[in-house]
Amino acid sequence: MNKATTINPPSPLRAFWLKWRFHINILLILVPLGFMPKYFADAALFRGDSGLGEREIGEVQVGPWSVKLAELRNEAPRPDPAGPMKSFNAALCATCIDQVKATYLRIGKPRSLRAAGVIFFGTPYRMGAMLPIPERTPLDAEVWITMEGWDGAMHQASVPLSQASPATIDWLKKRGVKP
Amino acid sequence: MSKKSRSKLWFLVHSWLALPIWFFVLIVCVTGTLAVVSQEIVWLANPDIRASKPSDDAELLSYEQVIKAMNRAEPQTIVKSLSRPDESHFALTSNVAYPDGRTVEVFVNPYTGVIQGIAPAFDFQQFTRALHGWWLVPFTNGFSWGWYLVSLLGLPLLASLVTGLVVYKRFWKGFFKPTLRFNHGARIFWGDFHRLSGIWSIWFIAVISITGTWFLIQAILFDNQISISSEPIVPVITRDKVPLSSPGVRAPMIPLDEAIDIATQRIPGLEASFVSLPATAYSHLMIGGRGWYPLMYQTAQINPYNGEIAASHLLSDRSGLEFVTESMRPLHTGDFGGLWIKMIWFFFGLVLSMMVLSGLLIWSKRTALATLNALKRSAKVRRQPQENPLGLAETTEGNR
Repeated sequence: MNKATTINPPSPLRAFWLKWRFHINILLILVPLGFMPKYFADAALFRGDSGLGEREIGEVQVGPWSVKLAELRNEAPRPDPAGPMKSFNAALCATCIDQVKATYLRIGKPRSLRAAGVIFFGTPYRMGAMLPIPERTPLDAEVWITMEGWDGAMHQASVPLSQASPATIDWLKKRGVKP
Repeated sequence: MSKKSRSKLWFLVHSWLALPIWFFVLIVCVTGTLAVVSQEIVWLANPDIRASKPSDDAELLSYEQVIKAMNRAEPQTIVKSLSRPDESHFALTSNVAYPDGRTVEVFVNPYTGVIQGIAPAFDFQQFTRALHGWWLVPFTNGFSWGWYLVSLLGLPLLASLVTGLVVYKRFWKGFFKPTLRFNHGARIFWGDFHRLSGIWSIWFIAVISITGTWFLIQAILFDNQISISSEPIVPVITRDKVPLSSPGVRAPMIPLDEAIDIATQRIPGLEASFVSLPATAYSHLMIGGRGWYPLMYQTAQINPYNGEIAASHLLSDRSGLEFVTESMRPLHTGDFGGLWIKMIWFFFGLVLSMMVLSGLLIWSKRTALATLNALKRSAKVRRQPQENPLGLAETTEGNR
């Protein structure tokens, strides 16, 4: 080190640095403090205290039944080893709780019940599904809801993706739609 | 390098490991200590989670009896899972869904099946764990950077242990001649305290730093999609195995207690300390609990329509490596053998927190002293005093 700094009394700035340099890490406490509102908002979201999801899509009529849909988060699909995924939540109508055996979600119309897409997990009051967003999803894609009854009955309906998740459309636009 | 200067170098390394981040280390230690007993703290604060016996001869209800009692009291509420805590003074916890869409944990009396209360929106246990484990940084894509930040501390902690033992010459003598001098000023006291608690905490610091480093490795493995798990991926129940019924009538499931009996009879040593009811019409019922090795869980997935065991994940299925890696978390948290082990972890957690503080105090007292001396020297002798930015050259730590 420079000898001059030791012979002359240290500058106030340097003295300040020497005195406080090991205490700067106290500022790290700002990280959890900053994330605290987000932490509690997420806790409320997962408990269902703040509704079905961050953005409600509305009630969708599916044959004789209906389902309330919401985006878990009002944001673009999240990366996943199996490709981009978008989480949706759903709640069955009060009268169809006993009728519906399973509810599925898929981008594009399913050809059969066997290819109905991802299944909703959870209770009729609040269930969730992680919808894979295929590589070649067009901007005018439709999200298809398939519902199955305990007797094997099947009913379908669709919602435009632009209505189901505007954030996903923005994300697709930004990424560039693949032919 | 001479023996003395080498030990000075080790001493410098030892002080630099935690000093620049002492506050962060301290908060992580304190929140970790609290997290160990967070369940007990909640038990003290909230009577809802206590398992009070209605009478001396009251007997524990079976899972099915509990769920029936819950359904009777609240017909609309749907039970998703039920878990019996290790310690009998805790109420059962159950995950339930309400018609308004809330999915919350409720506390259920194990003797009566009475729903005693709903977990409050502020979950102290989860909050201390989140603060300790990932500094509240949200998980968006893989592990959060807060998790990395905290788990990285395992490395300097391990290095502190090693360098601490290197600079503390013949530390084993401290076991036979414990020294804690109260009358020689704060600097001596904190030095003695740091050394004494250090040697008695060797095992604990080793456990915490190694398991903490495992959390780092775990995150790295996960974020690079590397799996070492032998856990089977259980396919959903095939369509033809779920019986069709008439409209509005659920396919009949076998009673829960029967399913548990089937699994525990066919899989010797399987204990049911939690049950997870099927999450879809095509999902299995899962039951699980500890086996003979208290640090790991065994699970079985059962077809709820016919009682067939679809898959199980038992101790005997685990590889040797998994025995090591899966033991890491319970070893870190002290949650594997009831209240007394937790209390030991809590005590040593406090000691470790105090070691961070005492280390800081030693350094600040020493530096204050060294600065004073340096000022005196430079006032007396105006010829090339040695720069000593850390104030550590005077140290004779361990050479007492």
